[in-house]
Parts: sequence; structure tokens; C-alpha cells
Amino acid sequence: MTGFFGATPADAIATWVAAAATLVVLGGLLGERRLFGWSQHLLAGLATGFLALIVITELLVPRVVAPLMADPGGRPELWLAVALVGAATGAPWLPRAVGAVPLSVAIGALAAFALGGAVVGTLLPQLAAVSVRGGEDVATTIATVAAGVITVLVLLSFVRGVPRGRLLRPAASAGRWLLLAGIGGWFGYLLFSRLILLLDRIGFLLGDWLRIGG
Amino acid sequence: MSDRLLAIRLAPLLLLLLLAVAWLAPSVGWLRLASSNTTEADRMTQALDALPPRSTVVVGFDPDLGTYAEIRPTVRALLADLLYRQASLAIVSVTPEGRALALAELDRLQRGTVNARRILDLGFVPGAEAALVRLTRAGLPIEADGALAGVLATDGLAGAQAIVVVGGNDLGPRAWVEQVLPRVPGLPLLAVAPTILLPELRPYLATGQVDALLGTPRDGAAYRATLDVERLDRFLEPREPSRTGVAVGLVVAIGVLLAALVRRGGRSDAARTPPGPRTEAA
Repeated sequence: MTGFFGATPADAIATWVAAAATLVVLGGLLGERRLFGWSQHLLAGLATGFLALIVITELLVPRVVAPLMADPGGRPELWLAVALVGAATGAPWLPRAVGAVPLSVAIGALAAFALGGAVVGTLLPQLAAVSVRGGEDVATTIATVAAGVITVLVLLSFVRGVPRGRLLRPAASAGRWLLLAGIGGWFGYLLFSRLILLLDRIGFLLGDWLRIGG
Repeated sequence: MSDRLLAIRLAPLLLLLLLAVAWLAPSVGWLRLASSNTTEADRMTQALDALPPRSTVVVGFDPDLGTYAEIRPTVRALLADLLYRQASLAIVSVTPEGRALALAELDRLQRGTVNARRILDLGFVPGAEAALVRLTRAGLPIEADGALAGVLATDGLAGAQAIVVVGGNDLGPRAWVEQVLPRVPGLPLLAVAPTILLPELRPYLATGQVDALLGTPRDGAAYRATLDVERLDRFLEPREPSRTGVAVGLVVAIGVLLAALVRRGGRSDAARTPPGPRTEAA
């Protein structure tokens, strides 16, 4: 029971469409690949269509087109936005240097924000947290040192193409086993969560669609 | 079709039928989905208790379509809990997928006749990480009226008392920690995320950058088990995940893993067996 659907005829139609799509995807498990392939295309098409829809209805029209229509000379930066949208849309037919401008701006801005955020928000606070400081209780210090040692050992297991000495080889091997243990533990969590997802689909088919056992 | 191929084809069907029967079966009393270790659930409750009365909470709603079902009961419980605590919710998405699911949940809240003055739909903010930075700035372009819209339009996220991030996509709790918290320090950040993000998010919990995290189905169930939202229970998930179904599925999964191990062990033994007399004779 997902609780997404109400009691209107539109909700009933949506439930039937969702049930058909669920059955098609589950049919992929039983070897029905053609319909499953079509469902993947349908998902990609719907996702692209939805993206275009919200960009038009929630960004371009209210925040670019409408202000420009109301006051064409009042917001010059919006004309720049229109030019960038035009260059991105017409990139296949424009000279490469022109089409590359919006893409470069997007990638550059994304990289700058992501890199800056990763350093300020993750790297520095995490490094500070694993640094051993005075005044901590013994358990915290041991946990901090263990975290550092495990990190180093796992990183060593990734070292390739470098001759390994008598010390490095067992350390890399230990790192590999620690990595496998970590992945194994995570796999257990994932197995559990994937089961919940599968049961949710079964619950949708039985409860929302067939109205059994609700 | 050989018997083995037929068995391979039929095995998933049998599993689905078995899980369907388990889903329909009444729950066994001694099976529990909720974790017996309630640390994470308690941490979430304490973080919510620490919020001032009638607080403004910004909900970053960017789950993933594929994993949303895993966290959906917990997300609905948390939203109901916040509404029960008289909080006002401003819901924003920075991914299209998140926006689609936010619209579905907003529609559900409206069907449950939520107090419209306590919900503000900030919509989709484009720009990925840049969108999160934009949210921290004063002068947000919010078209809605009302006190909640006024506070956020004037002060940005600094006008809120907490952030709740529903994760799953690339722009989940990690992106909020990296982009928002350095710009609005001191704002509590609570998160609900699917298990796949757990290794990424646990370190933030340890450093205190994330105040509370419900990152596994069992932690989510432990939080839901303690919840009492009285008449607002109409906003909760209609039915909890089937405990019997989960138990049956886990038994099957462990059985398959053991069978694979035994089979692999058998193959290794065969490979180690020295050549037989026939080979020697040849």
C-alpha cells in the first residue's frame, strides 16, 4: 500500500498504468526482455519529458520569459540567460566555440561549487575529527587511531604497479580483507533494503491494485 | 528448454509468489522490523524535541525514484511528526526526480487536509550545488504569500530553525552539508536516506555535522515505533512493511548464498582432485 493514489477515476487509471508497468518490469525477471526494454525507454522518455516540463514551467517561463515580457529593459542579465539557453539548445548547429560557452559555464560552476564544498564541508571537518587530540578518553583515541590505520591499510590495497616490500605486501593484503569485510557488511544492509523495495512492489500489486489484504 | 533452464526461469516467479503469500500472511508477533538499538531513532527524537515551538523547517526533498519506497514510511512519519509539533514546512527540491516525488507527497498531504498555512511549496530550484547556495542567500524569489514565505524570502535558510533532508539522489544530505552548513552555521540538519548512502553519511553523523540520521529500514522502523501523532496518523504510511515477507525473503537469500558457496566449494574440490587413472593411462 503506497498511499499515493486517491479515489478519483484519474487515480484508478494511474493505479492500472503503474500496475501494468510493474508487471512488465517483473516480467523481465522471467525472461520477457522485449517489453522490459520498452519500459526502460518509457522511463527515460518520461524522465526527460518531466525535466523539460519543470524547466519550462518552473524556471524559463516564470523567471526568464515573464520578467522580460513585463519589462524588457529592466533586467539585462536575463537577456544573457536567454542567449545561454539559445546557445545550449542550438549547440548542434552552431560553431563549436559558441556551443561550448554554456556547457563550459555549467561545468565550471559545478566543479567550483562541488570542489569548494567538498574541501570546506567534508575534507577539513573529517580530517579534524580523525586527528588525535589531547583530553579525549581512551576509547575515543583508540577508535580514532583504528579509523586512521584502517583507512591507510585500505588505501595501500589499491596500490598497483609498485614493487611491494616485506612490510607493504601484508599491509596491502590486510587492507584488502578489511575492504571486503566492509563491503560484506554493507551488502547485508543492501540485501535487506532491496527486499523492502521488492515487497513494496508486491504490496502495491496486491493492496493498491487488486485490493487484497489491505 | 532444459530442466535447468526451466528451473532458472521459474525460480523468480516462485520467489514472487512466496513473497506475495508472506505479504498476505498475518505478521508474526516475535518478528520485529525495528532495530533493538534505538540510538539513531532516539537521536532523531531528541533533535526534534530541541526545536523551538512552531519552528520553520526547510525540507530538502530529493529522494531517488528507485529507493524511495525504502524510506517512504519514515519520511511520512517524520513529516507527520513535524506537523504534530506545530512546525511549518517549506519543501524544496533541487533535482527533477525529487520534485516529482515532492509533488506526489504534497498531493497526498492535501488529500489528508493538511493546514495549508503550514506548508510552503518552494518548488524546483535549478542549478544543482549552486541552487543550494542560492537558498542560503537572502531575497529568495518566493511567489507565495504568508508569514512562512515572508521569513524565508527575507532571510533565506537563516530564517529556518532546522533542515530536514530526504536523500537518495546525488544532491542529498552530503551536498547540503557541503554547500549549506558552511554558509548557515549552527542550523540543525536531520536526514532520512536510503541504505545505499549509509557509508557516505555515517562520518557526518560522527562529526556532528548531521544531527540525526535515519539511514536504514530498521532505524526508520524504530523511530516510527515510538511515534504518536494522534489524529495526524492519516499522514502516516497506510501499512508497515511486511515483517513476515522480509523474514521469508532473507531466508531465501541466505539459502541461495549458502547454495552458491557449497557449489563453489564443490567445484574447487573437483579442480584440486589429481588426475584419475584414465588420464594417467592416456
